[in-house]
Amino acid sequence: MRRHWGQTVLSLLGLILGTASIVTVLALFGGQTALTEQFLNEVGGRGTIIVSDRDRSAHPGAQELASKRLTFKDAQFLRDRAGALAAVSPGWSQNLSYRVGNTSFDGQVIGTVPDYMAINDIKPLVGRYLSDLDVRHQARVAVLGWKYADSLYGVATRALGQLVSIGGKNYTVVGVMEREEFYFAAWEDNALEYRNERAYIPISTAIAQHSAVDHLDFLTLKGRPGVARGVAQAQVRSLLYARHGVEDFDIRASGQGAGGEAGQFLLLFNFIFLVVGVVSLITGGIVIANILLASVVERVREFGTRMALGATAGAIFAHVLAEVLVVTVIGGLLGLGLGTALTGVVAHFMQMPAVVSPFIAAIASTTALTVGLLAGIFPALRAARLSPVEALRYA
Amino acid sequence: MLIQGRSLAKTYRLGQVDVAALRGVDVDVRPGEFVAITGPSGSGKSTLMHILGCLDTPTSGTYRLDGEDVSGLTGKRLAQVRNRKVGFVFQTFNLMPRLSVEENVALPLKYRGGIARGERRARALRLLERLGLAERVGHRPDELSGGERQRVAIARALVGEPAILMADEPTGNLDSASGAEVMRTFAELHGAGHTIVLVTHDPNVAARAQRVIQMSDGRVV
Repeated sequence: MRRHWGQTVLSLLGLILGTASIVTVLALFGGQTALTEQFLNEVGGRGTIIVSDRDRSAHPGAQELASKRLTFKDAQFLRDRAGALAAVSPGWSQNLSYRVGNTSFDGQVIGTVPDYMAINDIKPLVGRYLSDLDVRHQARVAVLGWKYADSLYGVATRALGQLVSIGGKNYTVVGVMEREEFYFAAWEDNALEYRNERAYIPISTAIAQHSAVDHLDFLTLKGRPGVARGVAQAQVRSLLYARHGVEDFDIRASGQGAGGEAGQFLLLFNFIFLVVGVVSLITGGIVIANILLASVVERVREFGTRMALGATAGAIFAHVLAEVLVVTVIGGLLGLGLGTALTGVVAHFMQMPAVVSPFIAAIASTTALTVGLLAGIFPALRAARLSPVEALRYA
Repeated sequence: MLIQGRSLAKTYRLGQVDVAALRGVDVDVRPGEFVAITGPSGSGKSTLMHILGCLDTPTSGTYRLDGEDVSGLTGKRLAQVRNRKVGFVFQTFNLMPRLSVEENVALPLKYRGGIARGERRARALRLLERLGLAERVGHRPDELSGGERQRVAIARALVGEPAILMADEPTGNLDSASGAEVMRTFAELHGAGHTIVLVTHDPNVAARAQRVIQMSDGRVV
């Protein structure tokens, strides 16, 4: 084995490639997970809970028909009673027409309260966000998303202080939100673009001007720090159920299902790499087992001599396995190096974050070591079972 | 009696037929004796040496080595007896090519276990000095002459202070000068009180021993 270094390294290729693939997959997967985590933080963190109306059932019962669905009063009720929540923000959403001069289009309008900004971690670029005073006085003020301000006024910042017609009513633009961007991968669209395409108006104004009844489209809630999301969700569910008498609402975590397509693609990508890794490792293991077997046959007389000198079968077994260990460690380390390089290349060209952490290195090394040892067991057993006389006689 | 073999028999199964390699051999060796086992090939001398050296066990008969009945031992126990009681010298030297001379000599002590590395080294060095190989300790076997290699092998056989030194055609792969040198070493060891059993088909080599056991067709003649 040691006599033909080049040959040995070449035959280690399977082990090297296998380890490298595993390292790359785990690094990319880790990067992807970190990115998703980052996205969730961007949209308000994991503590954000969104409540919305559930579609009416085909044959609604009396309870369901009697329910007023989500209302501003529900929001007030939750604010007073839900101890697991830090903030409650009622939300009203409609598609209305925007118009400034000759420019006009239909787009989303969100009626809400100042808390919404804190919950969703958004900031105005210029001007201010909605205030409690705006809500109390049903003020005709609007805060524009960056994209709409940009489309309506040419330059986003120029919107400040201007009038905009929304749903036929005039609003004064008191603020323009920062542009929000998030990319899961270089080829993906801005995952947060929808947040740039809307305007925020006071919830009281929205209900008074654009709908006749107290009805909300969603509630945005923030759990108290330290309270598990599941606990907060359960509390909200039981409180709302008590008020509605029927579960005609859905509760979900913010950012759920976000970046779905990018995730699908990466999952496939990771899967392919993982299969390549496992197959390489298995072939690598078989090749190593073969080389070792040849090496054992080549050195039958050596093992016979060792036995004559007093080596027990156990000592011979351990001897061969120790040799496997050396070879496997070399293959594993080379694989680790190659995997790190490969990760760098893939991350660079696909513009994805990926880092080979010590944890990943440990997993890959352990896998390579396991494969190596499994491959070594048969040759080691073969050597250990030799009869000393026959081994010494072997030419 | 250091070696006491009684009615030793060994039968091998070759395909469908049983081949008797040893047909009831009695053999005694006293401590300090230098005995040569000789005979033509197929006479059973190698089989006898394998049994006396605890590399193999007899099909029937009893064998006591250094007071212990070893005829029924197997596997690990037999390996331990080999390690403590027997030192082997082979025709083809059988040194480990990748180990240094010193590491080769210390190998049996490594298999004995419980002896510190420093102690193993010291013992190996002592023996190599005694055999005039002090300058070769760091060399690899392939850097040595044939005679030197065989003397390294003798040092390896002696390092564990065995009860008996077994040599199988120790001069078979050497030129006459090296062979004479190795035989001189055996003579010196015999003079120092070592018990030696030497297997050879060469009458000149056998003649150097105190006593010759002549084998033929699986029996002592």
